[in-house]
Amino acid sequence: MAKKESHDRSEIPAWKSDFPISEEQATHVNRREFAKFLGLLSGALALGNGVIVIRALAFPSKPLEGEHFVCNADEVAVGEMFQFEIRGNEIIPYILIHLEEGEWRAFEQKCTHLTCAVRYREDLGKIECPCHHGFFSADTGEVLQGPPPRSLPRLEVVIKEGKVYVREEKQDKTV
Amino acid sequence: MSDFRRSQNEAHPNKTNTLMLAIIMLLILFVGIQIWFLFGALNNALQDNIYFALTTFIGSFLLALASFWLLRYLPDPLKKSRGKRK
Ligand code: FES
Repeated sequence: MAKKESHDRSEIPAWKSDFPISEEQATHVNRREFAKFLGLLSGALALGNGVIVIRALAFPSKPLEGEHFVCNADEVAVGEMFQFEIRGNEIIPYILIHLEEGEWRAFEQKCTHLTCAVRYREDLGKIECPCHHGFFSADTGEVLQGPPPRSLPRLEVVIKEGKVYVREEKQDKTV
Repeated sequence: MSDFRRSQNEAHPNKTNTLMLAIIMLLILFVGIQIWFLFGALNNALQDNIYFALTTFIGSFLLALASFWLLRYLPDPLKKSRGKRK
C-alpha cells in the first residue's frame, strides 16, 4: 500500500515539485506564489530602509576639518573654474569658481542628481550639469533648473596672502 | 455531512477569488508605500536627515509585518485541500 502511494502525485516531495517536467508547469506563477513574492519584497524593502538608518547612524558624514590649500589666487582668472580634490576617507572632487574680482565660490563637483561632474559656464553665469541639463546657481549652489533634487554642497573660500583655502561653511541652517 | 465551511463555500463560490484579489491589492499597496518611503529616505539621508530615515524605517517595518500577517489569509490551494492532510 505504501509502495503504491509513492507513485501518487501528492507524494511528490516539495523540492521536486519545484522542478516539474512540463514547461507549462515550470513557468506558471500562480497567485499564491505571486502574493508570497510580494510579501518577500515588502520584507526586503523594510530591510533596505533599515540599512539606510544603520548607515546614517554608524557612518555620520563628518564635516571637513581645517583649511585646505587649493591654489594661488592669481592662477585662476575671473570667470574661470579650477578643479581640485580633497582627500579624506574618500576623495571628493570640488570646483573653485572665481566669479568676480574678490568673489570666490567652492562647490562639490558631484551633481546631486546622479553624481555627474558639473562645470561652470561663464557665458551663462551658472553651473551646468551636462548629463541631464541641470543648472545650479553659481552664487549659492541652488538648483535653478532640471532634475537635481538638492543644491550643491558648498565650501567657504578664504584668501590669505594670495593663496586660496577652503573650509567647511559655518552651519547656520539646520535642515 | 455538510459542515459550515462547506455550505459557505457552496453559497459563495467566488469567495476565494475575491479574497485573493483583495490580498494582492493590499500587498501591492503596502509595497508601493514602502517604495515611496525608501525613495524618500534615500534622498533625505543624503541631507543628514536621520529622523526621516528612522520614521520611514519604522513605517516600512510595520508595513512588512502587515504583509506577512496578510499572507496567513491566503486561501489554501485547491489541490491540497482535496488530498489528505499531514
Ligand atoms: S546627473 Fe546632473 S542632472 Fe542628472
